[in-house]
Amino acid sequence: MHMANVHHRQANKNAMPRIRRGFQLPKPARKALIYLTLWIAFVWSVFPFYWMIATSLRAREEIFQRPPSLVPHAVSLQNYVDLLVGAQFWRFALNSLILTLSVTVVSVLISVTAGYAMARHRFKGSVMLPLFMLYGQMFPPVLLLIPFYVQLRFLGWLDSLYGLIPVYLSYMLPLCVWLMRGFFSQVPFSLEDAARMDGCTRWQAFWKVILPMARPGIVAVATWVMIHTWNEFLYASTFILSEKKRTLPLGLSGLIGQYTTDWGVLMAGGVITAAPILLVFFFLQKHLVSGVGGGAVKG
Amino acid sequence: MGSDEMTVRTLPSGKLKWTWSSVFETGWGARVYPYLMVMPALVVVLGVVVYPVFSGIASAFYDVTLKTLNTGGVIFVGLRNFERVFADPVFLQASTNTLVWVVLNVVAQLVLGLALALLLHRAMPGIGFFRSGILVPWVVPSVVAVLTWRWMYDPSVGIANELLIRLGIIDDYHPWLGDTATSLYAVTVESIWKGTPFVMLLLLAALQLVPRSIIEAASMDGASGWRKLWYVILPQIRVSFAIAAVLTFILTVNNFNAIWLMTEGGPLNSSEILFTLAYKYGFKRFDLGMASAVATMLFVGLVIATTVYLKLIQAREGD
Repeated sequence: MHMANVHHRQANKNAMPRIRRGFQLPKPARKALIYLTLWIAFVWSVFPFYWMIATSLRAREEIFQRPPSLVPHAVSLQNYVDLLVGAQFWRFALNSLILTLSVTVVSVLISVTAGYAMARHRFKGSVMLPLFMLYGQMFPPVLLLIPFYVQLRFLGWLDSLYGLIPVYLSYMLPLCVWLMRGFFSQVPFSLEDAARMDGCTRWQAFWKVILPMARPGIVAVATWVMIHTWNEFLYASTFILSEKKRTLPLGLSGLIGQYTTDWGVLMAGGVITAAPILLVFFFLQKHLVSGVGGGAVKG
Repeated sequence: MGSDEMTVRTLPSGKLKWTWSSVFETGWGARVYPYLMVMPALVVVLGVVVYPVFSGIASAFYDVTLKTLNTGGVIFVGLRNFERVFADPVFLQASTNTLVWVVLNVVAQLVLGLALALLLHRAMPGIGFFRSGILVPWVVPSVVAVLTWRWMYDPSVGIANELLIRLGIIDDYHPWLGDTATSLYAVTVESIWKGTPFVMLLLLAALQLVPRSIIEAASMDGASGWRKLWYVILPQIRVSFAIAAVLTFILTVNNFNAIWLMTEGGPLNSSEILFTLAYKYGFKRFDLGMASAVATMLFVGLVIATTVYLKLIQAREGD
């Protein structure tokens, strides 16, 4: 909708007499300059991603050829085959999947009611609690690492995927609650009142009227949690010790060898690890951008 | 869920049909209802955030090592851990590096993020294509991005070296991550690449809220591009800009993956920041007390930044 506005503005500007205006390039030159800058920014942003894909599709001899060529001479799927025939990769992917789903389900269930109550009800702490949640997000992971290590060790949960769930909740839950509260505060509560007039209890009104309306927000929060859990490295690399419990990011970093690294296989693994995130992102781009960007700047 | 289904629940007397959730309708039940809904989140946050934070700060004052954990002999040592940290020459280097790392990252990400937001905030053919491309670094998982850059920096067959030679910037292949003079800056470039799109998103969202009429008025008064930016647009988005600055600061201080997966702080601590130093104290030396001392100092710095962040959000809500 702002496209129309921009055209309107430009039309206005062209109609203006040009007075007291500093030096300006002629319009076509300015336009060319803008496109040139955009292309530079585009290439700069996309190139490493391109390079990852290009490397993953090369034969081994070509990867270690000097000078490297920008475009692969021949496309080969050997790296993907090498990666996928090993049982390890599937194990890592399964671990990542289990962990991601568990953390997402738990954080959404817990944050949805809290976010709603904070947005809807006035009670003792209904103003302080959301701020408290936001503070909770700011604690540096390095400060939490040590007590987590001591606790997990004490409970015998070191080197366990399930032991990572509470650790990840500390990293996700506060912001989930904060974002959920933001989404619920946009739902028109007159609908809830109407439902209660019709004889719903508060819980039924929440469950049947409010929750379905807040679905886009819930999807955004769930996706946000999924992406971050899928990508997490620091806690997993500290608390997971045995190879068969590694998640995908850990498995990838484990492919770095002390003397030599098989970069073709590693980049193929990178492509496969990034693929679900990219797919989710491009399907839900609008939700996520407004959810995360908006949630961060809106109250 | 039509309203028919709901009206069924009202008894002829006008009272609610009883269900298990009716207990929350009146009296005591109504009062505890919001607390019950908040309770699970509160309990979890107290358990996995608040308690560990205090416990982490406390362990900065205790002698916590693998040995003392095993024997149960964790004793209070006052400021001993801090003294030992200050006596370590690497601590000074890590502090200087952290400062360089934070300043370079925050300044570059804000300047580039603002420039990109201004460029993308216009209706031009193909702008959606450019915006999607520019968001790619933000979307790629951090570990994948860092490992890709590590591969591009390869000293013998890395594409970064090849491109820089072709552009005439360097004469010969250079071990960017292996040279103490360049390691920190090489990692910084990756981190700027990864972090800028998020700043751009925040600022683009803010720009889209600037009323057209203000910019039009400035154009009518004959303000040129730079003056319009400085006197009209920037004041309008100043709160979002400050929020972006504080967020970038926090994310940079907490950026572990980039440094750890490219250099592990090396060579010779040339890219060591306080985070990686604390990590090494804790999980290489297993001196958790010293690690907590460094973490506590970082935490104090971040609390100051967080306070600023919250003040800004409140100011924005008051607008």
